[in-house]
Amino acid sequence: MPPDPLFATDALTVRYGGVLANDRVTLTVDRGEIVGLIGPNGAGKTTLVDAVSGFAPATGAVTLAGRRLDGAGPHRRRAAGLARTWQAGELFTDLTVAQNLAVAIERPGWRTVVGDVFGRRRPDADGIQAALEMLGLGDAADRRPTELSLGQQKLVGVARALVGGTAMLLLDEPAAGLDTHESGQFGAELRRIAATGVGVLLIDHDMTLVLDVCDRVYVLDFGKVIASGPPAAIRDDPAVIAAYLGSAVAE
Amino acid sequence: MGEFLQFVFLGLSTGAVYAVLASSLVGVYAATGIVNFAQGSIALWAVWAVAALRADGTLVLPVGSVGLGSGPMDRVPAVAIGVASAVVWALLAHLLVFRPLRRAPVLGQVVASVGLMIFLQALVTLRFDTTSLQALPLLPAKVLTFAGAHVNVSDLVLAGAAVAVAALLWAYFRFTRPGIATRAGAEDERAARLMGLSPDRLAAVVWAITGGVCGLVAVLAAPTIGLDPTSYTFYVVPALAAALVGRLASIGLACAAGLLLGSFQTVILWLGTKSWWPGWAQAGLGDALPFVVVIVALFLLGGRIPSRGEVTETRLAAVTIPRLRPAPVALVLAAATAATLLTSGAWRFGVVTSAILTLLAMSLVLLTGYLGQISLATMAFAGTAGFALSKLTTSAHVPFPFSILISAMVATAVGVVVGIPALRIRGAQLAVVTLAAAIAVQSFVFSNPALTPFEGNLIRDPSLFGLSLAVRSGTDLTTARFALTVLVIVALLTLAVARLMAGATGRGFLAVRSNERAAAAAGINVAATKLLGFGLSAFLAGIGGCLIGYSRGQLSDASFTVLAGLTLLAMAYVGGITSVSGAIIAGLIGPLGVLYTFLTQTVEAGRYYQLIAAGGLLVTAVLNPLGLAGTTGHHARAWLSRRRRPPEAPPPGAAAPTGTEPAGTVPTSPEPSHAA
Repeated sequence: MPPDPLFATDALTVRYGGVLANDRVTLTVDRGEIVGLIGPNGAGKTTLVDAVSGFAPATGAVTLAGRRLDGAGPHRRRAAGLARTWQAGELFTDLTVAQNLAVAIERPGWRTVVGDVFGRRRPDADGIQAALEMLGLGDAADRRPTELSLGQQKLVGVARALVGGTAMLLLDEPAAGLDTHESGQFGAELRRIAATGVGVLLIDHDMTLVLDVCDRVYVLDFGKVIASGPPAAIRDDPAVIAAYLGSAVAE
Repeated sequence: MGEFLQFVFLGLSTGAVYAVLASSLVGVYAATGIVNFAQGSIALWAVWAVAALRADGTLVLPVGSVGLGSGPMDRVPAVAIGVASAVVWALLAHLLVFRPLRRAPVLGQVVASVGLMIFLQALVTLRFDTTSLQALPLLPAKVLTFAGAHVNVSDLVLAGAAVAVAALLWAYFRFTRPGIATRAGAEDERAARLMGLSPDRLAAVVWAITGGVCGLVAVLAAPTIGLDPTSYTFYVVPALAAALVGRLASIGLACAAGLLLGSFQTVILWLGTKSWWPGWAQAGLGDALPFVVVIVALFLLGGRIPSRGEVTETRLAAVTIPRLRPAPVALVLAAATAATLLTSGAWRFGVVTSAILTLLAMSLVLLTGYLGQISLATMAFAGTAGFALSKLTTSAHVPFPFSILISAMVATAVGVVVGIPALRIRGAQLAVVTLAAAIAVQSFVFSNPALTPFEGNLIRDPSLFGLSLAVRSGTDLTTARFALTVLVIVALLTLAVARLMAGATGRGFLAVRSNERAAAAAGINVAATKLLGFGLSAFLAGIGGCLIGYSRGQLSDASFTVLAGLTLLAMAYVGGITSVSGAIIAGLIGPLGVLYTFLTQTVEAGRYYQLIAAGGLLVTAVLNPLGLAGTTGHHARAWLSRRRRPPEAPPPGAAAPTGTEPAGTVPTSPEPSHAA
């Protein structure tokens, strides 16, 4: 029997009014594994990320390293090691890039109040710099998010999700806004991240990136998982081609 | 039963005013997206204008007055002119204040409408003879008997008028072409313009209608309710509570809630006369009611974290993350110390008051500027602490530093409770809740004879190690010892808050202010952070309240009025709500501070202070949405960097220092993205 996966959802279901946005979605991600999640627009990919990270009401189980997280609030899931990014970046525009990352490491509370007033606390500058450099953002630390390109802003979002003890990374279209070359670089960066033992669930429309970098791929359509397997198998799966990949394969 | 019904009907006049104000608030909100705190003040002017006309035919204008006829004016033309004056004020508010601010941050709009409210209120007090004028009867004085209750016909007429007004407003928005177009224009101004509509003109129609009906109902109700230079101004709070019951969207619900609230308040008044009613609840409960109504309504109807697809962007003034450099800090401290030691009497009292106000403004900088929570309850937190201080020093004999600390902790607890609604609501609606809370605290604690004796809450003078720190000594109005004590406390706390703002706590607060969803996803407990902000802010305000208490020797309901709280927020906003220097400016220009001392001592214009303050606020809010410190600081830095930078300097982004201290590396220019 294989060891427990790092991350698993079991029969995760999200219902918006009469619409089943996610219908009993069951998937797993192992340590150091990059798993793709693809599907046509409106298939429920972002809803799945919302449900897993605690932003959408869902039924079913979410497990991280054997710990049940369903029912916990978003910040608790993040503290447990489950981090996500956003399609729109959603950076803190009042803070610099480095401060955006610092926020995810030192969360405000009574302890930070005492530390700020009496101590000489400094954010973990090395950890922040390391995360930024892993994504090629080493010289952007002191700039404001609005001074960066949209693609770079999304990478800052990925870096922010990476710091603060992250074990599992949910990436919602991180490569949208990157050109082909940058997208290739991003693939390499993702591999380096996964090599540190972090599990990655990658949602993206860039098929080259997904099929190239992922170890396994799930395909979502109308809220249901319709196929899963290694990229090569997904590419040839007739159900997937019918639902989604038709045009991409024809290229 | 008959008696009960009688009181239910008796409350209908007040209820009718609430209902019409509430319907109008919903109407203005639907047309412009603005929560108009000044709606009651506009009606207040109409009431006084009619009273003056009917006394001797004088039409009082903001400047000067015109005699219309030789004697008292008849009721119909007087009412017509009074209502017209409300229409004019409403149109002026639209054209001069709210239209220029339609793309300003929510906080800017709230502050401007609060400024207008204070401005009109101050103007009424200055322009009208508030001691001898009275509201002469307008409606028939008949009494009906219904199920054993004596019912005034005037109460029924007013209630009927309120329902009619609500029905008319509802029909206007629902069925008429301009009404529907107004709603469309508020939703998408650009699309409306492309369709050839003019949202400005449509909004002006709504401002005029609502101003007129509010003026009319207040004028008709004044003979029953009585003439008072403030009451109608604050009727906006129960009206806002009623409007919030309808989520600022339903005119019918707002009207019904307003009428019910009015009746409920008189019924509570009646219950208070019963022998079985507890003595501590005899006063103030009716005023606390709107707060309860708002909380319940918001909790039943409110949504939590805004979900995907909703507009979550609340734009706020850009932030100056403080960087404590020794030289400027020492300079400010030296100046403050010199100002304390070189002055005496009233001037020193002004300096001390400014120092205390700086602390109160810091509490707003932290909560509103950094955490983005608009709070109008700061003075209520201060008042709570002052009240606790009185009880602790006179009854329990708690010695000086502990008395302040414990009192501030009490204020902290109240702050956390008032902060609970902030977990569900945001922006202008939160401002309404905190204002309702402030009024509840004021009436329930300070205007309640069971808690506050007639002579006020006495406070024993502080002393430390046998050394008296009393504010007065013999003929000395403000002792140097007391002034320096205040200065030390304020300086220490201000420095502590500045460190907080520059540290992890400040960054966390800014993250929550900028994007709650992303903050939660970054692992920040948004709810706990908001409560932390409210707690810290109330603690600072509480210390400030204790210092005010020690500086007066006794506290009454006049010490921490809701109006003073509103003026303070306004001043903090004018000064610059996101920076320490803004708080210092707010302290200097705040109520009873250095500017006030100057006006009373040097130019003898103290009674114009509120008007000048509110007028200055309106001008600054409209011209300068970033606040004085923000704008001047921005200009100063731009000027400095032009002078310092050699011609071949790298672009601003690359010029930022690359040290490890992040606090100092933040460009403080206003963000272009805020305007996007």
